[in-house]
Amino acid sequence: MKRQQPIELFMPPNMLKAKVGGGLGGIDLAAMKRAESAMETLKSEFGDWIAEDVAALIAARARYAKTPDAGARDALLRAAHDIKGQAPTFNYPLIARVAASLSRMIGEIPPGGAIPLSLVDAHVTAIQVIHKNRMQDTNDKTAQALCAELDARVDELVVVAAKT
Amino acid sequence: MSNYRFDRLKILVVDDNVHMRKLVVTILQAFGVIQIFEADSGDRAWHILREANPDVIMLDWVMEGMSGLDLVQMIRTDPQTPNPFVPVIMLTGHTSLDHVARARDAGVNEFIAKPVSVKTVMSRLVAVIEHPRPYVRTQGYFGPCRRRRGAEEYRGPERRNEAPQQQAAE
Repeated sequence: MKRQQPIELFMPPNMLKAKVGGGLGGIDLAAMKRAESAMETLKSEFGDWIAEDVAALIAARARYAKTPDAGARDALLRAAHDIKGQAPTFNYPLIARVAASLSRMIGEIPPGGAIPLSLVDAHVTAIQVIHKNRMQDTNDKTAQALCAELDARVDELVVVAAKT
Repeated sequence: MSNYRFDRLKILVVDDNVHMRKLVVTILQAFGVIQIFEADSGDRAWHILREANPDVIMLDWVMEGMSGLDLVQMIRTDPQTPNPFVPVIMLTGHTSLDHVARARDAGVNEFIAKPVSVKTVMSRLVAVIEHPRPYVRTQGYFGPCRRRRGAEEYRGPERRNEAPQQQAAE
């Protein structure tokens, strides 16, 4: 083992606590309640937001199909990653699942590795269908089967990519 | 009841997705935060950071251009940084242990795994207020100590000397 070197460890003054105060600490229930109420109000906009995110994904897919370079690949990953993170909030958990599969595929295939456009398209089309048909129920059998198939295809691809 | 004076806080929200910014800003405003700055890129955030010197930064990982990790590294180590100790709460869809370790090595204080909820935003804000972590400086790292307890007694190897901060943002 290497010789141990000293580390400098220090606690800066807690300026935040001095600024905001607070008695015993813990969760501010009144503020939580206000925020939950504000989120309820915001929900009326979620339909437009998910539509815009899906449109951004379609645009990123078109860019990648035209010129599959690193910039287009990053843009596609960002669009898929955004949807993965936000779709559950917008009450589209199935879209989040498909977007997670797409993100995983792009993220785990090394830079320069081939990402099959057919499989990108399968994901993007699935997201469009789920959105168009407002499929928000995670128990939908057809959607579940579709998600499982996409997961399996990505699994195969990622395993092959890891070996090369 | 804690009765925090959130109205005294200055918070910078950095995300290239306008919907996510609006979501986080709405929650913070409802908490009572008045001074909220928004940035849609790491570069813009760095500019605002130097002008406004926020108390807390809420930051997305995946952004075009400068990533969230790149920005955290600048905040912690750049000579121009207005406050290398500013708490950074990272919003991320990455939840694997490997990603969490990389973010911690870059100097992130707390995480919010997407999807964002009111409860997680409150709990991470309270965490940086009530349970700040000590800071550690080694040859290859500067930032919040990854160990929540027992850091003062740590005498083990300096692993970060072998995995410098530079690598975290790669």
